[in-house]
Order: sequence, then C-alpha cells, then structure tokens
Amino acid sequence: MTEYGRKIWLLYLKDLRTELSTQDNLLSTFVFGIMLVVIFSFAFQLADVPVDRALAAVLWISVFFTSTLSLQRSFAIEQKNDALSALLLAVGDRGAVFLAKMLSNLTSLLLLELILVPLAWVLINVQSAGPTQFGLLIGVLFLGSWGLAAVGTLINGMTVQLANARLLFPILLFPLLIPILIGGVLCVSAALNYSTGSVKGWLYLLLCFDLIYTVVPFVLFDLILEG
Amino acid sequence: MGDILAVENVSKQIQEKIILGNISFTAVTGDLIAITGPNGAGKTTLLRMIAGLMTVTAGRILWNQEQYGLEHGRIGYLSHQPMLYDSLSVLENLSFFAKLYNCYSPQSVQEILTRVGLWLARYEPAAVLSRGMQQRLAIARTLVSTPRLILYDEPFTGLDREGRELLLGLLAENQPRTVQVLVTHDLTLLDGLKCREIKIEGGKMVEEGVASD
Repeated sequence: MTEYGRKIWLLYLKDLRTELSTQDNLLSTFVFGIMLVVIFSFAFQLADVPVDRALAAVLWISVFFTSTLSLQRSFAIEQKNDALSALLLAVGDRGAVFLAKMLSNLTSLLLLELILVPLAWVLINVQSAGPTQFGLLIGVLFLGSWGLAAVGTLINGMTVQLANARLLFPILLFPLLIPILIGGVLCVSAALNYSTGSVKGWLYLLLCFDLIYTVVPFVLFDLILEG
Repeated sequence: MGDILAVENVSKQIQEKIILGNISFTAVTGDLIAITGPNGAGKTTLLRMIAGLMTVTAGRILWNQEQYGLEHGRIGYLSHQPMLYDSLSVLENLSFFAKLYNCYSPQSVQEILTRVGLWLARYEPAAVLSRGMQQRLAIARTLVSTPRLILYDEPFTGLDREGRELLLGLLAENQPRTVQVLVTHDLTLLDGLKCREIKIEGGKMVEEGVASD
C-alpha cells in the first residue's frame, strides 16, 4: 500500500471506530431509519401502491432522511476540539481527508441499508426477484449510496465551520441529490418490474454523478476547507 | 546546519478585512519566537499560516528557502484547544497520530505518555480527562513526530503549575534542535527562557524585541 493509501486507510478506520464508539448517535440513526421504513411500508400498503413503486419509495425516503442525520456528524467530530487542524497537519493533504470521510460515510450507509432493505422487503411483501433484478437492486443501492456519501461529505465539509451548519446542511444537500433520488427510485422500481433495459441511461447518470462528486471535491477540498 | 523559517511580507485579508499586513521575521534552529499582542491582533492567524492551515493573501513563508505547506508533514502544533478525539482513548489518540506520521512504535508511544504523566490513564477516553490532562495529551501528540518546527498557540491555557513546568521544560529541551514560535499574551510565563518577542497590534508588526532571558 502506498503512503497515501495508508493514510486514507488509517483515517477510514479511525472514523469507523469513532462512529461505533458513539453508540447513542449510531442507535438513534438506525432506530430512525427503521421507524421510517415501518411507517411508510404500512402507509403505502394502505394506499394500495404497487409493490415495485412502494419498495423504491420506502427505501429512498428512509435512506435519504437517515443519511442526513448520519452524514452531518462526519466533520462535526473533527470540528470539536479543533481535531481537524491536527489531522490536516498529520495527513498533509485535504483530499485524503475527503476520500477517507466519504468512504467511511459510504460504509455507514451500506451497513444501514443491510438492515433497512430486508426490513422493507418483508414489510412490503415483495415476491422473489431473479438474479439480474437482485443484482440491479444491489448495484443501484451502491451507486445511490456512493452519491449520497460523496455529496454529503462535500456539503458537510463546506458548512461545518458555519454557525448555522445544521440548518444549511439539509437545505444544500437536497437539491444536489435530486438526480440520485429520481434515478434511484426509477431503477429500483424497474428492477422489481423486470424492465431493467429501460433504466440503462439512469445507471450511467448515477455513475457519472458519483464520479464527478468524488473527483471534483477530492481535487478542490483544499479550497473548501480553507473556506 | 540548522533550519531557517522565513516569514516575508505576509498579509492576510478575508473579504474586505485586513487581518494581517506585511509581517516579516526570520527564525533559525534554537530560536524561540514569542508573538505577543492584544486579542484580535492576528496572532493565531499568523501561526495558522505558518502551519499551512491557512493560505497567505500576499507574501510568502519559507522553510529552508523553500515554500512549503501542509505536505511538510513535520510541524508540531500545540493549541489552547486539545485537538483530540473525545471518543478515543489516550492511547488510541496518540497511536492514531503516530501512525499517521509513520513513526509509531509501542515503545515510543509508551515513552511519550510516561513523560507527560498519562501512561496510567492510557485507556481513559479523552473526553473524561481534565482540561490539564487533555493538554498533556496534546503535548504528547505534538512531540510524537519529533518536529523541527513547533508552533504553540496559548499553550499554557488550562495547565496547572505542574503542567506549566512540564511545558516550560519541553520548550527548553526542544530549543537547541527546533524552531519554536509561540503565541502568548503573557510573556512572564516564559521567564527563564531565551526568546525573541514580536509584538503585533491591529494586524501590524509594531515591535521586534531583542533576545531576552
């Protein structure tokens, strides 16, 4: 592993350890996500919404709202005690900090989805899906989570030093995530509908979105953190 | 041969406000520079620019005649804030930074923690430590990479008499092999140390004192 990769790995492990040790935050995030899935699953069933649309909506509503809770903690941990300054001096590159934060946020989101997806699957009573459909579902969830993590880390880094960061974070996050949310809902719905060919364009869009929101902040994070 | 830190006509402007204007000084290995001045004079801004944590608007900061930034990687920075992770233990905090600096060994970590009097508290989370103990851990973090440039921003804040003596001892011990720049509003805390005073007021350098004991 290169020196650069080693530093990113150390930061990534530190972030996961910090996240796991603050069990209050972790638990409240998971409970909030589970509550959203349960409430929306029953609501959609009462409204007699088709299963494919219901699952897509429930998943992305719960993942989006839960992620706004977890993502804005990312840099708040660094801001406390000005640990960020010590971190930057030790790492020597702000881009590495962005990458490590994004990866740890992505891991947290994927862990959250490990609980939310089966729960929604059972509550909405989705019938079995074929391997292609299931693969598409996993792929879309990964691409969507990657986008959420990248944009969330970027916005969190931009706003964390501001006095009204908690207010600004969701306001700035939502408009940027519209392509992810629309693409995610359409692709999940298509996966369950066995019409995967119709959403190829959206999959490419999700991938491009993720790459842009990973590469650009990585390069410009010096300016972003300097504020 | 020693190292040379050169601050050349450095200015910092944020939006319309000039925080610092035309600050210049040089320091070589063995120097302890004390930057003094009233609150809001721009002392911390200057220190953060020397560390590479803030960019300069004009002028340049050189280390051995070369421009440098965060990538320099061997700058010790001790602030009045501990710059630590509350949820990690004393040992985890120090080990994490030592690994980032690529100078981790269990022996060196134990040695530093013993030196600052925190070895017995190594499994305590940083959050439960007293202010003074957190500052001792911050001293350990600063020293773990054996920096050649050490920056101190009001480092005596929150330290008890024993902690102040420990820090003064480290300042004296580091002096022969490092360039040290210290921001303080109270020079009497440095009694007994040979230092050079640079006084800043309203973002301007108003006085550069001669070496004193």
